[in-house]
Amino acid sequence: MVFDSTAFDSTADTTSESGAHRAGGDGSSWTFQVDGVTKVFGQLRANDAITLEVAPGEVYGLLGPNGAGKSTLVKQTIGLLKPTSGRITLGQFDLVADPDAARQLCSYLPQAPMPIASFRAREAIELAGRIRGAHRAEARRRAGELIEALDIGEWRDTVGQRLSGGVRRLVGFAMATVRPGRVVILDEPTNDIDPLRRRLLWEQIRVLGASGCAVLLVTHNVTEAEHAVDRLALIAAGRLLAEGTPSSFKAADRGHLRLQVMLDPAAATPTLPAWAGPSSRVGHNLVTTIAERDAVAAISWAADLIDEGVAEEYGLGATTLEDAYIRLTGSAAENGNSGA
Amino acid sequence: MSSVVDAGPPTEVRRGAAHWAGGYGAMLRWHLASLRLWLAFLVGIQILSGVGFVLGIALFFKPIPVSVALFVSTGVPVVNLLTIGLMLGPQLVASQKIDGSYDYLRCLPVSRSANALAWYTVTLVGGVPAMVVSLAVAQARYHLPLHLSAMIVPAVLLTCFTGTMVGYAVAHALSKATATRLVTQLLTFAVFSFAPVLYPVRQLPRWLGTLNWWLPFRQMAVAVRASLTSGPNPGLVTAYIALAIWATACAAVSALVLGRRE
Repeated sequence: MVFDSTAFDSTADTTSESGAHRAGGDGSSWTFQVDGVTKVFGQLRANDAITLEVAPGEVYGLLGPNGAGKSTLVKQTIGLLKPTSGRITLGQFDLVADPDAARQLCSYLPQAPMPIASFRAREAIELAGRIRGAHRAEARRRAGELIEALDIGEWRDTVGQRLSGGVRRLVGFAMATVRPGRVVILDEPTNDIDPLRRRLLWEQIRVLGASGCAVLLVTHNVTEAEHAVDRLALIAAGRLLAEGTPSSFKAADRGHLRLQVMLDPAAATPTLPAWAGPSSRVGHNLVTTIAERDAVAAISWAADLIDEGVAEEYGLGATTLEDAYIRLTGSAAENGNSGA
Repeated sequence: MSSVVDAGPPTEVRRGAAHWAGGYGAMLRWHLASLRLWLAFLVGIQILSGVGFVLGIALFFKPIPVSVALFVSTGVPVVNLLTIGLMLGPQLVASQKIDGSYDYLRCLPVSRSANALAWYTVTLVGGVPAMVVSLAVAQARYHLPLHLSAMIVPAVLLTCFTGTMVGYAVAHALSKATATRLVTQLLTFAVFSFAPVLYPVRQLPRWLGTLNWWLPFRQMAVAVRASLTSGPNPGLVTAYIALAIWATACAAVSALVLGRRE
């Protein structure tokens, strides 16, 4: 894909180099950098010396349990909060010192519902584009393309209050990306969306990356993130625990398998044998990792559980990102829906 | 994979007058569209309440003196102009804080002053029709010696602006939505009950009259009333100076509050 910067040059009215925040023309100068960001609320260190970097074109996952500090980091990026210390930059723009630049260069899909109850879907997307600086024709064209690409054409003239949660979410995604910023921040973008349109949305996230945007994907959904992101950071208790590609996260689990046991709803969590790794129980799903050499013993143990009426079924498979997540955070991912 | 992003992300940060004007226009459309289901209803309620004040006052007298009818009828426009800015604005912001959309709206790439002025325009759109209808009904009912002057324009603009900015500052300064709603209701009650807008200041205890001299609401009534009547208008210059100071101060506070980052 070719990045056509002239399309935006023509729309710029008075573009500013004031504040010496002009970035250069090559893609690398638009790297998004978080450098030692700490945010303290009273006694709480919501972010603790977080450092990360997202290159243009990269889809970067920000994973972590509730209260990990993900939203705090996002709000500092888009100028809603100010770091206690540290820097957030996008190319040569200091997003902390220049919140106006932050709001223009970052586009944001919040986790909360978009305020579009009175808007028709297409109108909301077009207007979001206009607010983000697009000309009327460009906003209209992009809105039409996104409606088509996300397969929400049948609701294009439906007002927001009559839209289902999933379609509203897709409209929100289109509003955030109709004229995307250099950094596109998507907070749980696939919530409430049906599986088919989720795939369309992931395609569009990839298109954003291909067009030169750095995509910051905030999610609890480890399973989806594993397939969607180029790199990810795992945050817990305000700290960045680990960073890397999904494969690098799983590297420590090489030679291991994932054992998932569906327990009887009435059963207590059974004591795990010594060969089992860290475990978690989400609902009736008990998940642990085992060494490949213990596979036979694991199958035998799980089969015994079924015979005893403690479990209903089990599965043994390759480890996933969720296993690394559990190992690193000591807690289960919220979706907890990895297949066996 | 369909590639719908063919223009790529922005390469510049836009600033300047054209960016400001574009933001103003877009946010005006946003506010009007977001109130689409309610704006006509709101204007209707405004008209009903304005006309209600105008006609209702006659029930206290038999017959109503023209001077009383004139005083009340020329105070009602202030009520019309204040209600939306002082009450509706903060209530909407409180709702946005509850439903979580407040952060999204705050991070839109629009100049904060352009957004504030877009909202001010909406309050004018909501308040002026009711003002006009209330005055027309008053004229028809009481045959008042109204004398409309060009000063109605600055009087209406300043009154509406100051009221809107007071509401704007309250809405954004208070972090809790419930607090915003309570303070707004208290403020509205206090203004309509204890500010000499629909009755002369001499009706108030001396200390409350003095207090009102420092507040903007009495000055709004003086400015608007002077633009609708003929004859001497003592305190008119003071009223405009006071309103200008209040308008500037409220705009500054609003800008400070909106630009504040925890």
